Amino acid sequence: MISTGRLFHIIFRKPRSWRHNYIFPASQFSFVFGEYDYSFRFESPEIVAGITKSGNFVVYERKSPDESVRKVIGSSAGKVIVNPVEPVNLPQEITRFLEIHFTPVVLAPESENQIYVKFPVEIAVFLESKGNYDVLDIFSLNRPKYALYGPPDQGVITRHFESEVFDDIPETDACREGVMELTIRNLTRGWIEVSRVVFENTGIYIYYGDCVSMVGQMDIFSKTNAETKTLACPLRQGMNPAIPLFTARKSLIPENLTFLMEFGVGE
Amino acid sequence: MITLDTVIYNDVVVMDLIIFVAWVTGALVLAKILAIYMKRSFSDRISKPELDKLLKVIQVMLILIAIYFGFPRIEVNLSEIILVGGTASLIIAFASQKLVSNFGSGLFLLIERPVKIGDNISIGDVSGNVEEIRILSTIIRTYEGIYIRVPNEKVFSSDITNYVANAARRFQYVIGISYRDDAEKAIGIISDLLEKHPYVLRHPEPSLFVSELAESSVNITVYIWAPSATWWSVKTEMLWKIKAALEENGIEIPFPQRVISFSGENLPDPGKTAYKAE
Repeated sequence: MISTGRLFHIIFRKPRSWRHNYIFPASQFSFVFGEYDYSFRFESPEIVAGITKSGNFVVYERKSPDESVRKVIGSSAGKVIVNPVEPVNLPQEITRFLEIHFTPVVLAPESENQIYVKFPVEIAVFLESKGNYDVLDIFSLNRPKYALYGPPDQGVITRHFESEVFDDIPETDACREGVMELTIRNLTRGWIEVSRVVFENTGIYIYYGDCVSMVGQMDIFSKTNAETKTLACPLRQGMNPAIPLFTARKSLIPENLTFLMEFGVGE
Repeated sequence: MITLDTVIYNDVVVMDLIIFVAWVTGALVLAKILAIYMKRSFSDRISKPELDKLLKVIQVMLILIAIYFGFPRIEVNLSEIILVGGTASLIIAFASQKLVSNFGSGLFLLIERPVKIGDNISIGDVSGNVEEIRILSTIIRTYEGIYIRVPNEKVFSSDITNYVANAARRFQYVIGISYRDDAEKAIGIISDLLEKHPYVLRHPEPSLFVSELAESSVNITVYIWAPSATWWSVKTEMLWKIKAALEENGIEIPFPQRVISFSGENLPDPGKTAYKAE
């Protein structure tokens, strides 16, 4: 029986440049992230989005179960870029942190382990012209959920996601989930049980190719302290870097921010 | 020819004048560096015009202090200035007691930071969003959109409730269901509903329990944690959704009611009555 996830697909017509686009395997999706002209269309049972001509206007429209978006685009000279982006924007941006809860992993003293976990994907539609990007819309097939990491007075709100732990790159529904290769280094002299990781989402590096991916690193200093960051390298050779939202929004945020987890790495 | 030892007046030589000028210039440079540092540190806590005023006051004070300590080098007698200045200061201090108090409070507010611009607060009987933190006063826009200027002295000495100082906050509902209905089923329905809402936090998770067997209903208390930025919208949204979901599943939210029983002795016996009637 076909999974619900596999039913979702995105149909983009007349992509302008196939060189930068990647088509997901036909068995999985008719799905493309990359650059398009103004005639693209995205269709899933839940969300329909696309650009249409309406008189002299070019109009972007999206219909989701909870909301409808309609925007008039002032120029028909640009192009559209569809990329996976940092999953902290929906329903509205209230945090910069992504928290992944996973099956507890017990680490030996002074050891290094590599695991794979899934993370949620949000899809951004960018407009591009003369090297300038702007975010036209962001949507997701995931139902977002948030949590508090740490105590209310010192902690941070995080975009919460629960994942299993995999020893190899898992198969994912790329519309909904990405794969993170997470290297966990236990720098302590004791056994440590890890079941969550929090990333500072501004400046994370997402790549897309045969899946959406990130490469993360977590250095554990104690049961309560760890430092996390994502690395600017793809999971596999040939993957394309996604446009970071902070670049498109021209936010003055330094790249590659690390996050110090001060409130524990376990439950 | 003018040398470093050339006397300008009394015992003051050119060298003394150069040292004095260098001293004051140093103070100017220091004031400038301090201004840059303070702009970086305080730009998100205080509005730009107010910050500029504060910086000017600090810069002028720094330069005046430098001049004060530099004067002996050029043999300027400060005793008279101090006498006159001291007396004047006392008069000014008495006259501007409130002003100084507000100014001092403003500085302490900036250091202690109990409130920030945009915070949702309550000071005394004033509630609203902080629009500006000025040197002498704090501007609050009430929920009705009214502009209120609160002197910093009052802000500093009042109890301040900051509703958004913490990342998350908890609120509660008490939902009464009928005695005929299954409380566990109702809790399950409410839990499912809360699980679907993005801003009902997963951690700390919502807490639901039967809290009271009340006169007309079995009361279920629901504790929900939500991000401080969105708690109000979650609170206003969820109550009606809970009510609708419970009713959809056949669970009644009863009106206040009282069951009245009459004692059997005082009731007419229906059988006897019927017999007598015959």
